[in-house]
Amino acid sequence: MEDNEAIKVTNLTKRFRIPEHGSPTTLQERFVNPFAKKKMIDFVALKDLSFDVKKGEFFSVIGPNGAGKSTLLKLISGIYIPDGGKIDVNGKLVPFLELGVGFNPDLSAKENVYLNGTILGLTEKEIDESVDDIFDFAELKEFEDLSIKKFSSGMQVRLAFSIAIRVKSDILVLDEVLAVGDGEFQKKCFAYFDDIVGKKTILFVSHGLDSVRKYSDRVLWLKEDKTYEIGEPNDMVDRYSATF
Amino acid sequence: MEDDILKEIYFKRILKKQVMNNNDFDLYKQFVKTTFKMRYKGSILGFFWVLLKPFFMFLILFMIFSRVSGSATGLTSQQYAVYLLSGLIVYTFFNEGMVWGMGSIMERAGLIVKINFRREVVVASSLTMALINFSINLVIVIAVALILNIHITFLGLAYVLLICFTMFLALYGVSFFTSIWLVHVKELQHIMELVLQLLFYASAVFFPVEMIPEKYRFIVYYNPMARFVKAVREALIFGEVTDLKFVILALAVSIVLVILGKIYFNKHIKKVAEHF
Repeated sequence: MEDNEAIKVTNLTKRFRIPEHGSPTTLQERFVNPFAKKKMIDFVALKDLSFDVKKGEFFSVIGPNGAGKSTLLKLISGIYIPDGGKIDVNGKLVPFLELGVGFNPDLSAKENVYLNGTILGLTEKEIDESVDDIFDFAELKEFEDLSIKKFSSGMQVRLAFSIAIRVKSDILVLDEVLAVGDGEFQKKCFAYFDDIVGKKTILFVSHGLDSVRKYSDRVLWLKEDKTYEIGEPNDMVDRYSATF
Repeated sequence: MEDDILKEIYFKRILKKQVMNNNDFDLYKQFVKTTFKMRYKGSILGFFWVLLKPFFMFLILFMIFSRVSGSATGLTSQQYAVYLLSGLIVYTFFNEGMVWGMGSIMERAGLIVKINFRREVVVASSLTMALINFSINLVIVIAVALILNIHITFLGLAYVLLICFTMFLALYGVSFFTSIWLVHVKELQHIMELVLQLLFYASAVFFPVEMIPEKYRFIVYYNPMARFVKAVREALIFGEVTDLKFVILALAVSIVLVILGKIYFNKHIKKVAEHF
């Protein structure tokens, strides 16, 4: 792996073994019908995929449902392990596959900041230092002690986003979480993105093709038949849009 | 010289991988805190509601069995109360440890498929909850014993803590396996429930061993739970250290179990996210 590379994916293959429809999956079913063979189907999610992401690059992944976008992000985030090939990551990588992971609706907003923050990799001390800034950015200062089940979904997402951007990382993995909340808050989010573009490496998956066009340096287009192309954003998005 | 330095760096890295870093520890604290709050919240009586169930369990068993069991063991009714309580809390500790430890990975499935954090934290925090409950229960039992004029010795208490530590290690080791198995075989939950219920009756929790016909007593003899329960009782009520050889052997076995469990866990946990 070279110095200027943040992520290097070589010949990556991922298969899932899923039970065939009607074949026994639970012990109970196997007891009831002991002679039914357990048939598994190999489902190929990614096949022989190679690419690299340079440091400071905004790299987007597009493609139809089922092309393997989410699987790719989960592999890079270390949630799945590859069946073939390898993934090298250079630097601290933080995945945002979903905002507010681990939020507990019965806890107060402040308690949730600590819970979600540590889940994302912050230490308690780091959260102590930034908890005020988090609430300021989310514009939820006066609701600190309210349990978040009383929050509107917009408020929850604002809080989650404000925590997420506190996590120190070299590489951000983003899955369709761009621009959340109302118009005013969206502006703040975009200001944040404008600020980090070029400073951090970003791997981005989205159906919002406008933001792909606006920010990306390069685009990876995963296709349903497990082939792929890498290229310049406008060209990729134009040709991808032409397929539907 | 250089070799030594390299060896040291390598060793430190290995060590670092095994020991929790700052964030892992904070995460562990957060999980324990959250579970604790969820369990005791809801009302001012929250804490008492949790104690109410075991208290009534105790009351019923005490009313039914105190006369019979008391005369069979030669215990006074005060002693039988502590005898019964200590049996119940040791069994409860084991029960909660087994159930919560086994369910720990499954329970956090939603997190595990989203974030790559140290998975062991989840197992550790679930078992810590069982340990916290046991500690609260133990304090209550000691308080009751003191009220009933039973003399608790320092040695006896230290022995109880050693047994509790041994059980905790055993639970930890077993949970490394069961937490992963449950993801693949969901029925394990029902099987575990059944096994634990049988164990309750096979561990002589509310009746003395002397009440079991002689030809069936081997069940108790070969049942580690029954021997833990018995040792804890004798330590609390009479301040005696009994069955020490067995406890030391159990401790050694538990340590081996933790090591094997950890190896198994580290090997299989990576695949778990695909099977939820």
